[in-house]
Amino acid sequence: MLTVALPKGRIAEDTLAIFETIFGESFKFDDRKLILETPNFKFLLVRNQDVATYVYHQAADIGVVGLDTIEEQGLDVIRLLNLQRGRCQVAIGMRKGEKLDFSKAEIKVATKMVNITKRYFAERAVSADIIKLYGSIELAPLVGLADMIVDIVETGTTMKQNGLEVVEHIMESTTYLIANKNSFFEKKGEVLDIYEKINEVIST
Amino acid sequence: MIFEHEIPSGSKLYFGDVAKKKRSIERIASDVLSEAGFEEIVTPLFSYHQHQSVSDERELVRVNDTANHNMSLRADSTIDVVRIINKRLGRNTTHKKWFYIQPVYRYPSIEQYQVGAEYIDESKVSAVLNESMNIFKKLELEPLLQISNINIAHKISKLLDIQLDAFRHINVEHFLSYNIEWLTKLVYLHTFEQIDEVIAIVPQEIKIELEKIKELCNEISYKNVVIAPMYYAKMLYYDELFFRVIQDNEIYARGGRYKNDDVTSVGFAIYTDTLVEALS
Repeated sequence: MLTVALPKGRIAEDTLAIFETIFGESFKFDDRKLILETPNFKFLLVRNQDVATYVYHQAADIGVVGLDTIEEQGLDVIRLLNLQRGRCQVAIGMRKGEKLDFSKAEIKVATKMVNITKRYFAERAVSADIIKLYGSIELAPLVGLADMIVDIVETGTTMKQNGLEVVEHIMESTTYLIANKNSFFEKKGEVLDIYEKINEVIST
Repeated sequence: MIFEHEIPSGSKLYFGDVAKKKRSIERIASDVLSEAGFEEIVTPLFSYHQHQSVSDERELVRVNDTANHNMSLRADSTIDVVRIINKRLGRNTTHKKWFYIQPVYRYPSIEQYQVGAEYIDESKVSAVLNESMNIFKKLELEPLLQISNINIAHKISKLLDIQLDAFRHINVEHFLSYNIEWLTKLVYLHTFEQIDEVIAIVPQEIKIELEKIKELCNEISYKNVVIAPMYYAKMLYYDELFFRVIQDNEIYARGGRYKNDDVTSVGFAIYTDTLVEALS
């Protein structure tokens, strides 16, 4: 029996669709239920940011989550397989027409992804004052809270609609199948079996 | 502001039944090890040499002696136990099997109680592995024993020019992308029953290392065992066969073979705090 942590929303739907293709049966959560039990799997529906936490603490053996979230949390989990879905970019956005200038004495950056942002600027030896926000990140440069933002960009429409544009890509993110390190060794047969089956589906 | 009831984060407080449980674990371990011919040693809390056994020196809690030499609180027992026996007690004893029951301390205020055993000038890991599993048997626990050999990751890394980070992160996708049958079989190798099939097809230098795992498996009677040939962790002293004892996402014990001043020894440490929690 493998416990699988899935983030609520499209990723969970996509992943369950993959399981349906593999096993030829329906995998559907009952209304408002957070646990779905089948003979071989227990699926948990959790917040996107909590998937790696459930896996890291072995409340789930495997999970599906975006690479950006894994990088941000820095938890020691196994990145088993790139599912090649949910493709997006972590990018720097600035007001239209503004240029990225690392020579400024201090740069103010608003973001939800504090750790990725900290690492990016530290690697370039740029002093950045990072302001943690929980949403509506695009607002920050417009009201003078920050010089720029670091945020997830899929099509760039939200930034464009708010008078911002992407000036630098930090990383590309797709969803990954992750596993708990101890679960991998304890249940290697089961974990690698589902790895193979999912890989087969996403490769076709 | 510090409240009167506060204790530093990471420090340990045991009382009543839980303290009794801790003492019982230590007594059982002490009985098993004494019966197997290990003698007890208690080493100083202050040490001049801990930087040699702790990979990140920032983890040391430092103090200074009267001549302003750097000292630190014991953060790891193994190297100090071996050094004291070889360098300080060498003229007084020829005994090779030692055990200790004492905590280690890490910066800023992390305490960890341990039971450990070192068998100096011995290269067979089974000589200590069997004793550590006897302790778990007496505690009526049957955790998973994982057996690995760090040379396998090192040799594959050289052979195929794969970075050790890929092993540290268990990058299955990367290993399988090579489409090399023996490498794929190594990734999948899990049980003792599968090992001969893999030994038959791996390159000679890997074969030697897998044979060592096989030999160790043959020398132990414990049944709940998995083989993890691709497991790699940054360790300062284990240099060949090593093992982890795991359950419920916790590490109960760790041990293996190491070298100190050209003397090969084997040893293990059991993490008492984790066992206290598991048994309480």
